[in-house]
Amino acid sequence: MQLSIRCFHELLDSIIADVASECHRVARLGLDRGLDEEEEELRLSEEARASAADPSSSGEVGCKYVVDIFGQTHPAVADEIFECMNCGRPIMAGRFAPHLEKCMGKGRKARQRTTRSSAITRSRNSRGSPVSVYAPYSNSTNSARVPNGTTGGAGEEFSDCAFEAP
Amino acid sequence: MRASINRPPTPDADEEPEREPALVEVINVKMVESGEKEKLKELLRERLIECGWRDEMKALCRAYARKKGRNNVTIDELVQVITPKGRASIPDSVKTELLQRIQSFLTSIVL
Repeated sequence: MQLSIRCFHELLDSIIADVASECHRVARLGLDRGLDEEEEELRLSEEARASAADPSSSGEVGCKYVVDIFGQTHPAVADEIFECMNCGRPIMAGRFAPHLEKCMGKGRKARQRTTRSSAITRSRNSRGSPVSVYAPYSNSTNSARVPNGTTGGAGEEFSDCAFEAP
Repeated sequence: MRASINRPPTPDADEEPEREPALVEVINVKMVESGEKEKLKELLRERLIECGWRDEMKALCRAYARKKGRNNVTIDELVQVITPKGRASIPDSVKTELLQRIQSFLTSIVL
């Protein structure tokens, strides 16, 4: 019996040597999906993707973009910075519209200032409820009824009325 | 002095203890000659592939190579890495089958 076991072990050692030899070859030739370099690349690209999606690194912008190998973001982020002509603050292009909404309404909470045209539009929409032109609206639901053109649009409509009342 | 000149070559065989090794050698030779050794080896290899043993060993090697840096491994190191686990993780069925075949071969050459 011992003899058989010894023979068996000899066969086994031979097969172990074969496996080791093959794995050694794969390792040295870098056949196994690139044991180090490619693996490093894969890991790095995963990390890059993870950090691109990481909110802490994206600042104000909503963190739903990916960064490609050129550093460009997709979808593109308008990150050019310029000065707001209203308040003079440096603003990111992609944040300019919402900034203007608040910036133009300074002095009160945002969106409570009404303009002549927005009030007229509102009265037209609400069918007869009397609206005085410069009366502030205390609840936000009314401002939700305001059509797009008045608050979110270009600053033109506001430009002549915005600073009229504190 | 003449004795030293005429001294016969050192007989290695005499210094070896008389134990199994000699018998194993005989068996080995018989196995090789009859082609049985090759057949057994093929059988064992096939069984080990089937049961995933070979993949396990390859995974061990890969992990070791990754850790050490793939250009820093030698075949000897890999053999040392796999052998203990390899010997221990042979499925019993495989071992039994091979041992049976070896046994029957031994009895066949004795008879």
